[in-house]
Amino acid sequence: MEPFNLENHPKIKTGFTTPDGYFEQFSEKLLSTISQEEKPVISIFARNKKWFMAIVAVLILGIMIPFLNKFSTQNQSLDSASLENYLAYQTTITPEELVSLLDNEDIEAIETDLNLDDAAVETALSGNTYLENYITE
Amino acid sequence: MLLSSYQKPIYSHIRNIVLNHDDADDVLQNTFVKVFQNLKNFKGESKLFSWIYRIATNEAITFLNAKAKRNGNTSNDFQQKQIENLKADTYFEGDEIQLKLQKAIVLLPEKQQLVFKMRYFEEIKYEELSEILGTSVGALKASYHHAVKKIEEYMLTN
Repeated sequence: MEPFNLENHPKIKTGFTTPDGYFEQFSEKLLSTISQEEKPVISIFARNKKWFMAIVAVLILGIMIPFLNKFSTQNQSLDSASLENYLAYQTTITPEELVSLLDNEDIEAIETDLNLDDAAVETALSGNTYLENYITE
Repeated sequence: MLLSSYQKPIYSHIRNIVLNHDDADDVLQNTFVKVFQNLKNFKGESKLFSWIYRIATNEAITFLNAKAKRNGNTSNDFQQKQIENLKADTYFEGDEIQLKLQKAIVLLPEKQQLVFKMRYFEEIKYEELSEILGTSVGALKASYHHAVKKIEEYMLTN
């Protein structure tokens, strides 16, 4: 039997064929596919960016305001306590100096009813060496 | 310009791998979509020709493997089944010897099939083949030589 020699044999083609007009239609089909894939996707966020930013800003402010208020109130109360403690331990400040810093409103606020009898008043006055000065001023 | 230059040879290349026209059409679409999407990233590391062929080869083999897997076959078994149905295929007009050659080729290992088809049917030069497949010219020549021997044996005995 004669050996089969591929190189010497006339070229054997694949035998594959394509439908008529396939390549002409392919170009159109491909360009349509590519243009579909290239369609930009505009997100809702991008379209309404300004509104989103405004809403976010309002939300942040809305959340922050109560916190800021609370913080400043705490500071005030802390400051008052710290101030009182400071004043209580300051031996260089005299009661007279403290009194001079109070106005009528402050005095009314700290005013308390003292149930004192005449004997208690007399005892307090007799122990005060500056009594004469208070009377003459 | 790119499409008009490459669509026919790339189609033939893909068809040689997947065998079926409808499958070749799908793969050709995928190939060119990928080519156009990645063209801006192509920096000329290889020839454009080699780059496009590489994409087409990868797409065709991936497609074939996926289709074989869906049918519960290896890609080689799947190809053999495709060849058995080739005579009834609308888009195969080959004679007895063309059909016999297709049957002989499908018995080769995957890489050898590819080398043979690209060298024999598509007449791609060894240097270009080397760039596309990433294999040395020497290895490609050896692979082709082995493929030819096996095919000649099959053609003689069948």
